[in-house]
Amino acid sequence: MLLLYDGSFETFLTLVHEVYYKKINPDGILKKRPDMLVFDTLYEVRYDEAKSLAVYEALQKKFAREHFERILHIFMCDGADFESDLLHYIMLGFKSQKELDNITIASVFRLHSLQKELFRIAHKMSGFLRFSELEEGMLYAKVDTKYSVLYFLGLHFSKRLNNQNYIIHDIQRDLAFVHTNAFKGIQKVAEFQIPRHSKEEQKFSRLWRTFFQSTSMQNKENKKLQRQGVPLLYRAYMTEFIN
Amino acid sequence: MKKDIFTKMQILSDSAKYDVSCSSSGSENNYKTGELGAANSSGICHTFTSDGRCVSLLKVLLTNFCIYDCAYCINRVGNDIPRAAFSPRELADITVHFYKRNYIEGLFLSSGIIQSEDHTMELMLRTLRILRHEYRFNGYIHVKLIPGSSPELIEEAVGLASRVSSNIELPSDVSLRSLAPNKTKEKVLSPLKLARNFSLEQTDKPIGMSTQLIVGATPESDMEILRLSSALYEKALLKRVYYSAYIPINDDKKLPSLMTKPPLLREHRLYQADWLLRFYGFSYDEILNEASPNLDEELDPKSFWALNNLHLFPVEINSSSYEELLRIPGIGVRGAKKILQARRFKKLKIEDLAALRISVKKARYFILCDGRMQKELPHYGEHIRSALLSLPKQKKEQPTLFDNGAFFGEF
Repeated sequence: MLLLYDGSFETFLTLVHEVYYKKINPDGILKKRPDMLVFDTLYEVRYDEAKSLAVYEALQKKFAREHFERILHIFMCDGADFESDLLHYIMLGFKSQKELDNITIASVFRLHSLQKELFRIAHKMSGFLRFSELEEGMLYAKVDTKYSVLYFLGLHFSKRLNNQNYIIHDIQRDLAFVHTNAFKGIQKVAEFQIPRHSKEEQKFSRLWRTFFQSTSMQNKENKKLQRQGVPLLYRAYMTEFIN
Repeated sequence: MKKDIFTKMQILSDSAKYDVSCSSSGSENNYKTGELGAANSSGICHTFTSDGRCVSLLKVLLTNFCIYDCAYCINRVGNDIPRAAFSPRELADITVHFYKRNYIEGLFLSSGIIQSEDHTMELMLRTLRILRHEYRFNGYIHVKLIPGSSPELIEEAVGLASRVSSNIELPSDVSLRSLAPNKTKEKVLSPLKLARNFSLEQTDKPIGMSTQLIVGATPESDMEILRLSSALYEKALLKRVYYSAYIPINDDKKLPSLMTKPPLLREHRLYQADWLLRFYGFSYDEILNEASPNLDEELDPKSFWALNNLHLFPVEINSSSYEELLRIPGIGVRGAKKILQARRFKKLKIEDLAALRISVKKARYFILCDGRMQKELPHYGEHIRSALLSLPKQKKEQPTLFDNGAFFGEF
């Protein structure tokens, strides 16, 4: 049997409930209705608040903090195909918490690795993200990442840019981390106007490009190594790689 | 003639780039509500230069005017190059603006010697005071201490900076005397010792310090270099030694000719050996000795050591200690930790290592998995050596070395 759900964390919890109590053994879990004919029964799981809440409370009670957080983190890896592994992981956890550190189990290892990849992207973005200054001193950054790392970026920048007003805009997911005196947190972005830069912005971005150019050693040039450090994928919004 | 700010930036970052140290790791939670800036415990790369180095700090000289005449240095007084200077306020402003835009983790400030050592140090301190006191900037600041400046100035720098350093530059006093007439080993080491004492008076955790050695400009062997590094680590004087392959920029009869290519591979091997000292529990005389005082260019230092100590192998991965696992060629800190975690649950076989994405290309010659050796593989020194050498080159290992063949340290 194939299971279908809407891709949200809440509905996934209902799905866990169904699998557990109806003793389903799914062959796969889909986020979208398949466009091709499948020769398998398809069961669509719909969000059920009571069931989701029951599972959520059970997870909080039975799972160690580290394991519980891993489940949340895996859900930030929205582009990845993690559902079957995560279902297995949760079932395993209800049986034995200890097994959740057993990286010789393939699904557990895959989730550990996926979480590490998420952390890696978040870490890279904390360096590669670029703010530009708008009129009235607001800082604005665009990000476009494989997984959703806005939460981590928000944590990171609210420490270091504590006295600044800024917006980190996840253009792929229409979300933004907003840090102003009035509001601090993640918001849905409904509409967005192209911002106007401050007077000084051009001077400092040019100064940065000047620095970037002249700090390179021409006689040691190694573009391959540079690409390993900052893959092309990340360069779209980086000041020094934009002409 | 007054230079504009872009020209100054061009000149003063160009002059600073030969200093290779760049790390920015520090304490995580030094931010303060309502202020700007915080360090990060792991260090963050903000971009990579076209030569592949991580950029995390605004690395500039306050000025490249210099009264010294060090033969290896681009800024030596005798060189006819464009000169410039930032004012302390100018540089502090740029730092804060760069930081706000997330271009950098902080500032790496060095300088040529203008007028006198004390005058130079005082200008650098002025920049730091503006940043720390006026702008309440808590980000990372690395300051090069000026050898020969007064102890009070060094003390103040230690109080304001996240990390301080002073370049030893050349691995021996003899070389120093011949190439840097204004410096002696005593003079370059003294700011480091002073800084350590000052910071120990204030806290029990001494301030992080580092230094840089130029490799290939003078005849010291790798063993002499590593012996120096390991002495500096042991005395807990330094957190890091950086090695910089000498790039001939000045034509001087005491130096390798301008045609010499920078010994990049040698620099790479030294870094590998340095990691063995700092993270893998090796001592320098395990890696090198009087009979073979230089690192093998074909093999990484750990493989080379293992081949010379085959009596310690093979190592059983299911029962050896973390320290023993770390000594297996091809197994790093992450691999060793994964093995420790996984073997709590089952006896590991060679396939399990592959499933855990631990590379066994090198390691398989040196391990036992649950008592079993890899039968089809050679287990004699020379055979292993040639097997290791015929492995396809890993891309991660500085590809240019093999692309343009620019290497080797012999002069």
